[in-house]
Amino acid sequence: MSDTTSAPSGWTEAERLAALRDYDILDTEPERAFDDIVDLIATLFDAPIAVVNLIDEGRQWFKAEKGLGVRETPLESSFCAHAILEADRMVVPDATQDTRFTCNPLVTDAPGLRFYAGQLLKSAEGLPLGTLCVLDTRARPEGPTELQLKALEVLADQVMTQLNLRRALKHQQRSEAEFRAIADSMPQMVWSTLPDGHHDYYNARWYEFTGVPPGSTDGEGWNDMFHPEDQERAWERWRHSLATGDPYEIEYRLRRHDGVYCWTLGRAMPVRDAEGRIVRWFGTCTDIDDLKRMDQAKELLSQELSHRIKNIFAVVSALVALSARQHPEARPFAQSLRTRINALARAHEFVRPHSDVSRPTMGDMTLHGFLAALFTPYTDEQGQPRVRITGDDAAFDDQAATSVALLFHELATNAAKYGALSVEGGYVDVETDHSQAGLYRLAWRERQGPAIDGVPQKSGFGSSLATLSVEGQLAGKLTRNWNPDGLEVLVELPATALSRRNAARVVTKA
Amino acid sequence: MPARILIVEDEALVAMELRFVLEDLGHEVVGTAADSQTALNLAKETDVDLALVDIHLSDGPTGVSIGRELATDHKVAVLFMTANPGMVRDGVAGTIGVLSKPTDEHIVQNAVSYALGVKNGAPTNMAPPQLQLFNQAGA
Repeated sequence: MSDTTSAPSGWTEAERLAALRDYDILDTEPERAFDDIVDLIATLFDAPIAVVNLIDEGRQWFKAEKGLGVRETPLESSFCAHAILEADRMVVPDATQDTRFTCNPLVTDAPGLRFYAGQLLKSAEGLPLGTLCVLDTRARPEGPTELQLKALEVLADQVMTQLNLRRALKHQQRSEAEFRAIADSMPQMVWSTLPDGHHDYYNARWYEFTGVPPGSTDGEGWNDMFHPEDQERAWERWRHSLATGDPYEIEYRLRRHDGVYCWTLGRAMPVRDAEGRIVRWFGTCTDIDDLKRMDQAKELLSQELSHRIKNIFAVVSALVALSARQHPEARPFAQSLRTRINALARAHEFVRPHSDVSRPTMGDMTLHGFLAALFTPYTDEQGQPRVRITGDDAAFDDQAATSVALLFHELATNAAKYGALSVEGGYVDVETDHSQAGLYRLAWRERQGPAIDGVPQKSGFGSSLATLSVEGQLAGKLTRNWNPDGLEVLVELPATALSRRNAARVVTKA
Repeated sequence: MPARILIVEDEALVAMELRFVLEDLGHEVVGTAADSQTALNLAKETDVDLALVDIHLSDGPTGVSIGRELATDHKVAVLFMTANPGMVRDGVAGTIGVLSKPTDEHIVQNAVSYALGVKNGAPTNMAPPQLQLFNQAGA
């Protein structure tokens, strides 16, 4: 009779075999950890035979055996194959009395097995792999004791623990091998460090690029590979990342095997454990030298172009002045044309591509910064600006610059001729307002100027130019209020008008 | 007081206009140079009170070193006039300041008068707001 404790659950033989092979245990050498277990369980059962038995395809293979003298036998005569089909545990007190085994050659012929007790070995995922079992040629109608069964269960667990440990180790080795294979096949240099920043791994690409002997840049040796001018900066960033856990990112020059320093992009991220502690840093270096050089060349070209454009403004301005010298009657005309050209040149200066060197020396690259520069000529005796700018600042780009420059140049020129800037003590308040979504409002309010007695009879080209700049170019609306205490000009612009390129960028992102 | 002024500028039209403006003011333009060699030779051959120096010249961005040499070796008052004032953002030893081009004759008049004042010990007028003065201590 058999003693069963639970029923098998749903799995296929193919899945079971795959799970068994994943342990990579079949056909390995005997190991003491398993030998000790079969010795112990045989002693506890006072039985001549005990095995750690794994059921493979067509055979059963013994990781450890006592009293059998073979490492494997065919599956047809297996007791354990039955155990696997049956339950977690199978006990056969007398095989001659059990219909499943009465025809088994191991029972009918040598060695004449009678008693069997087997505990299932189950993978962590619940698939049966084999058994830890004890066999005797003597029938035991009384069956095993409680203690013996308990020992069988505990030792079977121990067998699985050993197997699972080996599998985990193997998986780790495999994933490490896979990581190295991936890392070595990447076009980037890959490196890794301990939590304290000690470098202990570089991929093949690193050694290929730098040409240094393997291991020579472990520890802190990495820093020497970078350009002397970049070393301190790299150290500083790296220390910051190590201290804070912030991702590391830097552009620096790495020495190639031929001694040439190449621009690389270095990045690193920390790997954290379940408690959030950093256990490792993984980093990459990407060769960005070509990109950087192209960037520099492009930058140089655009600066050169920009400089030439600025120079053309100067030449045109000089040409206007020179031409007017032949015609004294045209001088006022030439002068006003010239100041308009100069305002445009100033706008260009503000929005053209800049390097650190060419950046305007005064103010920020914003609307307020630009206006402040445009109104530089209008200062009082104390050197204080007579056009006072308040409110929300905004970025603006080259597409808006020309129109903004012309608008405010005309307003200021007009104020200097007829309005608040034409008299001592007069000033202008410019207020910019971005509080309403989608709208950018500019207000020009002249104060302490000559009294105004209504709308002027005729408007000059300057006012047309201002209106054209706002309504024609910036898609906005310009209103003039001829208040008795001074001209008020209100401009409403779509918020995107000042920086269409930025606006387009934002839209694309969204 | 009329002064002897050297123009270092490689754009002929800009140089010519500048010459007219200066002559209108009663100054004498002792020469126009488009490169560093010509500029330094002129400064050696003749007395110069003030030099108006562009930075990008026909032999490259040599204006900065010309200005420095004129100021320190020849004791010439130097004003830079350039479309790219960022080139001298940190100032140049011995020189007075920089005007951003394009400019106009009023600004030039005021800046020249201020520079000559500095050279003669005491400026007679305020520097025009468009003239960025170098901090002598910093330069």
